[in-house]
Amino acid sequence: MDPNDGDDDEEEFGLSRNYFLAKETGSGSGRKSARKLSDIALVDEQVLRAAVPEIVPKHEKEIASLVKSYKDLYSKWLFELRCGFGLLMYGFGSKKILLEDFASSALTDFGVVVINGYLPSVNIKQVVITVAEVLWDQLKAKCKGFTGSKPKIQHPSISQSTEDLLSFLGGQLPNENDCFVCVVIHNIDGPALRDSESQQYLARIACCSHVRMIASIDHVNAALLWDKKMVHTQFNWCWYHVPTFAPYKAEGVFLPLILASGGNAQTTKTALVILQSLTPNAQSVFKILAEYQLANEKEEGMPVNTLYTKCRERFLVSSQVTLNSHLTEFKDHELVKTRRHSDGQDCLYIPLASEALEKLLQELV
Amino acid sequence: MLPSPISDPPTSSAAAASDDVDNNLQPFFVLHKALPRKSERKSSGCGRARRKIDLPPSSPKSIEKSDVSSPEEANDRIYEQLRLQAFNRTWSKIDSTIKDVLRQINLNLFDEVQRWVLESFSNIKSIRPHKVSEIQRPYPLVTDTICRKIPTALIFTKNAEFVDDLLTFQELGGHLKSSGCHVAYLSSLDFSVKHGISGCLRSLLRQLVSEAPDMADIYILASWYCEPENYDNPILLIIDDMERCCGAVLAEFITMLSEWVIKIPIIFIMGVATTFDAPRRLLLSDAQQHLHPSKFTLGSPCEKMNALVESVLVKSCSGFSIGHKVAAFLRNYFLRHDGTITSFVRALKLACIKHFEMEPLSFLGLDIPDEDCEIFQHGQCDSLPDSLRNHAFNLPSCQREKNLKGTGGSLIHGLTELRTLQKGWSSAVMCLFEVGKQKNMQLLDIFCEAIDPTLYNLRASDHNLQLSSLTGRSLIEGKSGFAKGGFIAQAIQQVRELPAASLSHLLNIWVVHIEEMNEIQDRVRELQSIISSGGGGPVLKEKCTDIHKRSISLSAGKGTLSVNDKAAMLLEGMVRKFLMPIECVPFHEIVCFKHVDVLQSALIGDPRRTIQVDLLKSPTYLQCRCCSRRGNVLSSSMHDTSIIYSLAQEYGDIINLPDWYQSFKATVSAGTKTKRKLQHSPASKKVKATPSESEATIQARFCRAVTELQITGLIRMPSKRRPDFVQRVAFGL
Repeated sequence: MDPNDGDDDEEEFGLSRNYFLAKETGSGSGRKSARKLSDIALVDEQVLRAAVPEIVPKHEKEIASLVKSYKDLYSKWLFELRCGFGLLMYGFGSKKILLEDFASSALTDFGVVVINGYLPSVNIKQVVITVAEVLWDQLKAKCKGFTGSKPKIQHPSISQSTEDLLSFLGGQLPNENDCFVCVVIHNIDGPALRDSESQQYLARIACCSHVRMIASIDHVNAALLWDKKMVHTQFNWCWYHVPTFAPYKAEGVFLPLILASGGNAQTTKTALVILQSLTPNAQSVFKILAEYQLANEKEEGMPVNTLYTKCRERFLVSSQVTLNSHLTEFKDHELVKTRRHSDGQDCLYIPLASEALEKLLQELV
Repeated sequence: MLPSPISDPPTSSAAAASDDVDNNLQPFFVLHKALPRKSERKSSGCGRARRKIDLPPSSPKSIEKSDVSSPEEANDRIYEQLRLQAFNRTWSKIDSTIKDVLRQINLNLFDEVQRWVLESFSNIKSIRPHKVSEIQRPYPLVTDTICRKIPTALIFTKNAEFVDDLLTFQELGGHLKSSGCHVAYLSSLDFSVKHGISGCLRSLLRQLVSEAPDMADIYILASWYCEPENYDNPILLIIDDMERCCGAVLAEFITMLSEWVIKIPIIFIMGVATTFDAPRRLLLSDAQQHLHPSKFTLGSPCEKMNALVESVLVKSCSGFSIGHKVAAFLRNYFLRHDGTITSFVRALKLACIKHFEMEPLSFLGLDIPDEDCEIFQHGQCDSLPDSLRNHAFNLPSCQREKNLKGTGGSLIHGLTELRTLQKGWSSAVMCLFEVGKQKNMQLLDIFCEAIDPTLYNLRASDHNLQLSSLTGRSLIEGKSGFAKGGFIAQAIQQVRELPAASLSHLLNIWVVHIEEMNEIQDRVRELQSIISSGGGGPVLKEKCTDIHKRSISLSAGKGTLSVNDKAAMLLEGMVRKFLMPIECVPFHEIVCFKHVDVLQSALIGDPRRTIQVDLLKSPTYLQCRCCSRRGNVLSSSMHDTSIIYSLAQEYGDIINLPDWYQSFKATVSAGTKTKRKLQHSPASKKVKATPSESEATIQARFCRAVTELQITGLIRMPSKRRPDFVQRVAFGL
C-alpha cells in the first residue's frame, strides 16, 4: 500500500549507523587531535565582542528577496488564523523580522502582542493581562454597548487571577467569531519558555477562542516540548518551513561567544542563578561593580580599592576581609575576573556584554 | 497596508532602530492594537459577501473601497470571504457529525454511568440524616468509617492515548449535567506537587461556586451545597487522566473528601488507561479504602474510527471530500504516526482548510448536498467572474472531458452529477464494509481502496477485456481486475463463503444501504426470496468448511450458480457500476482535496531534518550566483553557519574546537585569496571581504556561527570537563 515503507526503515537504519560511525571516528580523531583552545592566537575578548557587530553581512540581497517571497503567503496565513489554527514557523535563520512584518501588514484588524521567548525570562501572567487588555479594548471598540451588556466582565487587571483572565479570553461572545488577539512568540522554544509550566500556560492561552498564536522555533528538538494534548487540541499548529538565513542578532545576545573566556563563559541565566543564591549584601556588592562597569564601558575594570571604598560607604562590608570573601565567591563562580590595569594595579570586571549585564541587573531587583 | 520593514527600508531609521532595540529586550510588548476603521470596513465586507448574488461582478464600480486598487482585488476579497464562510459552515457540519457519532457510540455507557450515579447517590441519601437543618451545619458529619467511602467509577478507556478521551469525558459530563448533577472537571495538572491539595480544591470551587473567593476551603463548598437550589443533587468529579495525577496529592484529596462524603455527596469518575489495579499502584492503601470502585469500559478506537469514517468520509454530506493520496496519507498517519482519533480529525480539518484556501471555487461545493438549491446555484454560477469560470473549465478533470461546454449550466450539471455519483458510491462502499466486518476489515482500508482511481481504471480495462472474451467462469471465480489480496476482492470472496444465515442477514442490511437504487434493490429482494424458499443450492449446506472442495463442486455444477455466487456477482456488479472514485469525475476538484504534500508539510513539521538541510544546502534557498554554481563544494562566500556546519560533518560525535576553527579559517581565507586574484571581475564585488581580513573578524564570525548552531540545538557547548570540544547532537538527516 505504501511505497515509502522501505525508505522509512532505511532512514532509521541510516540514523543509527551514522551515530555509531560518528562515535567511532570521534574516538579516533579525538585521540589524534587533542589541541587546546590556547593553541590558537585568541584575540582579546573585548576586541572580539567589538568585532561581532562589525561582521560584514553576506548575501543581504538574496536574504531580502527570500524573505520577501514569503509575503505571498501572508493571505494564506491569515486565512488559517481565521480558521482557528496557529502558525508555527521553522527553518534556519531569524524569523523575527518576518513575523513582525506579517503582523504589522496583514494583521492590522487585530491587536498583536509580541513575546520575545529568546530572553532569559518572561512573566506569563503579565502577558495574559496584556492580551486580555488588548482584547477588551478591541471588543469595546467593536460593539459600543459591550461593557453595558456584559456587566460580568470586568476590565482586566493585575488583581484578577490567571484563571479568570484565561476564561475571559476563552469566553464565547455571540456574533464575535472573528474577533481575536494575535500573540506572536519569537522562539517559543527559547530559554524563557522552555520549561513545561510555561508551555502549559502558553497552550492554555493558545486554545482560547479569542487568541491566535503565531510562533517561531529554531531548536531542532522543539517539538519535544509538547505532549499530544497540547499539539492536537491546544496549539493546533499549522507548520511552515520558512528559512530566512537572517542573522540571529537579537536571539544570540544572551549566549556566550565560544572563543571568549575559554568557551564556558557566563550567561545571564547562570549568573542570575548564582547571584540569587548569595546574600543580599553580596548581591549589592556585585551591583556596585556592575553599575560601575556600565557607566565606564571604556575602562578595563574597577580597581579593587575603589570597590572597597564604595562598599564601605554603603555599609555593605566592614573590612577588606569581608570584601575579599565576597570576591572569592564571585571569582569561583566566574562572575568576576581580574586583569592588570594599564597603570599597573589589579582591577575587577564582569565577563558579560553590556546588554546582558543590564538585563541581569533588571532581573536581580 | 502599513509600511513594512521587508518591502521598504524604514525611512526614519534612527528612531525606529532604537525602538527596535528596546523592543528586542522587552519580554513582551504590544505591537499594535486593532485598527477600528479597518475592522468596520471588514465587517461591512462580510455583509456584502452574504449578499453575494446581488453583486454582479460586471459592475465592480459599485464597490466603494478606497484602499482597494483594482476591481479584481475587491472581487478576490469577496470570494475569499465566501470561501472562509463556506469553510466555517462545512467544518461546523463535519464537526457536529463527528461529535454526534462519537456520542452515539458512547451513549449506552453514558446511560449506564448515569444509572450507577443515581444508585450511588440514593445509597448515600439513605444513610444520611433526614433533617435538613442537621445537614446544613458547617462541619462534617460523624459516622462510622464504613460509610465514608466515595463511590468511584473507573472508566477504562482501552486506549493509552488520553487525548482521544478528553472529548468523551466532556460529553459524559454534559450528559450527566443534563440530568441535574453538578459536574466539575479536574485534570492531572490540578494535582501537582507544587500547588498541592489547594490547587485542586480551588479549581473545584471555581467550577461549581459561581462567585468563589480565591481561596481553597472546603467549607465554601459545604455552604454552597447547602443552598436550596444546589441541595439534593450529587456532585460529580471527573478526572479524565487519573494515572497522570500526582499520587500523594490525589490521595490527600480523597482522604479529605471522604470526611465530607455524607454531607457533600461527591462521586468520582476517573478515566483509567491501563488496568484495574491502577488506583492500587497510584494511591496509598489508606486512600484506597475510601474509594468504592465500579468498572466501566469505553468502545475501542477502531470502532470509533469506523463510525467516523462512515459518517464523515463515506456518507459525506458536507461538500468536502478527499482524494486517494490524501486518504492513504491519513490512513498511514493514523496507523503509524499517532493512532489517535483526535489527530486524525485535526488532519482532516487542516485538509479542509487547505482545500478552501487553495481552491478558488471551493465555496460552490457547500451547496451540492442540498437537493433543492439548484436555483440558488444557478445564480451563483452565472454570476461567476470570467476568471473563475475559466478556472472551472480549465480544471484537469474537465480537460479530460472533451464535450463540456463552458457555461454555468454545465458547471451545475457537473456538480449535480457529482452528487448523484457520490450517493451510489457510498452505498457500494457500505455494502462492501458490511461484508468486510465479518473479516474484521476496517472501513478506512476499504475506503482507501474504493477511491483509488488507478485501481478503478484497472478494473474498467480488465472488465472490457473480459467482456470481449466473455466467460462466466472467470467472473465466478473472482479472477477479475481487483487488486490481488485487496480488500474489495477479499470482501467479494467473503460473500461466496458466507453461511446461509449470515447471508440473509447481510442482504437485509444491504437493503437499507441501497434504499434509493431500485434496480439493485429488486435483485437483492430476488436473492432474499430464493433464500427464504430454501433453494440455496448445495453450497449453503456446506457451511463453507471446505472451500477447495466447493470450488470443484462449482465447476462440476456447470453454470448452475448458488445464491452466494449470485450475491457475490451482484456485489461485483455494484462495484463495477458505482464504485467510481471521485477523482474520475469532472469538476471533482471543487470538492475534493488532493494536495497531499501541502497537507503533510503543514501537519508534520520536521525541524530536525529540515533545519540541517537548510544549512547544508543553503545556496539552493538563497539562489545566489556566487556559491550555487559550485554545487556542494564549500566556498568562502557561503553563509558562515553553513560552512561550519558542513565542516562539522567531518567530525565524529565531538568536535575539537581549535581544529574546527582552523578549517573554518582556511575555508574563509581560501576564498579571499581567489578573490584577490579575480579582483577585476565584477562578480567579486558581491562580498566585500577585505583582503586582509583581521584575525579578530574571522574569530568573531566563527563565534557567531557557533552561537547560531547553538540556537538551533545542533551542537552542545563545551563542558567544564572538556573545554576544547563541542558535542554534535544530530547524526545524519
